[in-house]
Amino acid sequence: MKSTANHIKWIFSFLLNIILLSQVHAQGDSLDFLRSTGKIYTVVAVIVIIFIGIVMYLYRIDNKLTKLENQFKNEQ
Amino acid sequence: MKIKGMWWKTLGVIIFIYVLTGGMLVPLKSGILHTTPSSAKCGTTVNIDITGYNTHFSSAKNIRAWLKADSVHAIQAVEVKPVDEIKSVVTFHIPDALPTPDKTQPLTLIMDNELDGIFVQPNAIFVTMADTVSANGALWKSSNLNNFSQVDQFVFPYRNILHETIRNIFFHVALWFAMFILLIAGVYYAILYIRTKDYIYDIKSSSYTKIAVLYGLLGLATGSVWAKFTWNTFWTDDVKLNMTAVTILIYLAYLVLRSTFTDTDRRAKMSSAYNIFAFVAMIPLLFVIPRMADSLHPGNGGNPALGGEDLDHTLRMFFYPAVIALALLGTWMAQLTIRYEHLKEKYFEKHN
Amino acid sequence: MNVVRVKDIFVKELSVDFRMQYALASIFLFAATIVFVIYKSFNNINPREWVIMLWVIMLFAALNAIVKSFLQEKKETYLYYYTLFNPIDLLIAKLVYNFVFLVSLLTVIILIMTFFSGFPVKDLGLFTLGSLLGIAGISVVFTFVSIMSSSGGGHSTLMSILALPLVLPILLLLLKISTVSVRLIVDTSVGNDVMLLLGVDCILLGAVFMLFPMLWRS
Repeated sequence: MKSTANHIKWIFSFLLNIILLSQVHAQGDSLDFLRSTGKIYTVVAVIVIIFIGIVMYLYRIDNKLTKLENQFKNEQ
Repeated sequence: MKIKGMWWKTLGVIIFIYVLTGGMLVPLKSGILHTTPSSAKCGTTVNIDITGYNTHFSSAKNIRAWLKADSVHAIQAVEVKPVDEIKSVVTFHIPDALPTPDKTQPLTLIMDNELDGIFVQPNAIFVTMADTVSANGALWKSSNLNNFSQVDQFVFPYRNILHETIRNIFFHVALWFAMFILLIAGVYYAILYIRTKDYIYDIKSSSYTKIAVLYGLLGLATGSVWAKFTWNTFWTDDVKLNMTAVTILIYLAYLVLRSTFTDTDRRAKMSSAYNIFAFVAMIPLLFVIPRMADSLHPGNGGNPALGGEDLDHTLRMFFYPAVIALALLGTWMAQLTIRYEHLKEKYFEKHN
Repeated sequence: MNVVRVKDIFVKELSVDFRMQYALASIFLFAATIVFVIYKSFNNINPREWVIMLWVIMLFAALNAIVKSFLQEKKETYLYYYTLFNPIDLLIAKLVYNFVFLVSLLTVIILIMTFFSGFPVKDLGLFTLGSLLGIAGISVVFTFVSIMSSSGGGHSTLMSILALPLVLPILLLLLKISTVSVRLIVDTSVGNDVMLLLGVDCILLGAVFMLFPMLWRS
């Protein structure tokens, strides 16, 4: 359980960093990373968000399944 | 080891990989990023610096350029000097008078070469004429605006502001379509539950709805990233956006509702009823209201609709597969949830 | 559907509510207090705030009032009704009663607000039409939610929160129509909004009629 909390903490700080970084970049005029090369990195960001979302869901399901499995095991 | 429904899961993954590779690798059609200067006076000679995107100015042999005022009035460039592949300088002699009485008129820049085909920049330059001169359409007639190069390319359309982010259609827009498919599945099983009172249908209904909500939240997140880098704001007062937010609130309420019941039978009944009601309440939200108000989204307030020029043949080759792939992946996740809930139910039945 | 039955239930509801005068009084007191608080804090209420305030007060007063309407009776009474009435009759009576109740509630709120801060509506016909349609929609949604909360035996406060997102689309349309009717914005296509509101009402009504017999049996 403690590792889960750590994971969540890590994910949150990661997301926070991304948001902060994008803010910093948004203030710089032509240095904006996500707007470079025809804004292709916006597409990358979108795909990454979808990927993270799906993986996080799978992670949660996996967690729940593990708990259920343990319950079955304890019974035997 | 055998996995249930292996074939459609494989299909989903393969289609998704196809969309990812195709959607990222197919190049964008040539276009014009920006031009300077942005204004000029009548009767002068202007050199317009053009920065293109995905263009082949120095490799192309026959580059032509026009400034177009309207469908019958245009002038051709006297000289096109390529600097490199993406930069060139185009020289125009702008006539003494504009073709229409307006004192200032935006002109559309049209370029054409045998490698990139034809591409345009609307409102590239604003031309002003002196107050003393009257309009003269004849000066704008000898433009020779024809014989465009026919280029056989496999490219995505180039749109101003959007640029490469047009590829997000396969991810962000397809996500909404997939969400809607999953919601339909959820409501279908809710109706089945009410008809048969078989608990498995409630599990199915709730799982599909749960995945649909996940897709909806991801859709909002991806949408706001896309908006940030095209419209320069995370959230706009866009009708479609706000209506979608309401929809998601309704379905979040559905999830809250489910979590408050401990009695499965009652929960099943209540949440199925709520699901059907919410779906019914959502239809005008997503389809009727957005069409009635101006919106930045395609298909609203003068913006071209999906299905017209915006979703052209090449985009469609990846868009529909993207919807199918995301729906299949969503179904897969829903199936996992269903199997988990089913197992849990069996476990509790055995212990009570 | 039996008109006499519907009328009977309607009258019964009315008499029950009039006997429980404290409930009614509390709702009106609520409206009066909120209007007064907002009036004191803004000092001068402009038409836009007036419209927004009207519907927000209306929403919460209605929420308090209607969610209660299915809860105030005991389980045994329900069993009695169940043997006595056709569920559709009961539903129609409840809907009509809730609608009438909300309309009178709105009238009272408007009166209080007019007393404190004037009556900015310019296009009275549009305002009345829009309000009636909107209230019809709100009463349908709230009736549905109150049915759910009574037959679910769940938490009534939570149920009332669940009702909020469901009325949001109606509320947004209502706000738009009322803003047009106080002439803050000019919109030639406001007829479309009214039609849309009517459509939403019909759809919701259909859904309630479809789902009610199922929910009622529990």
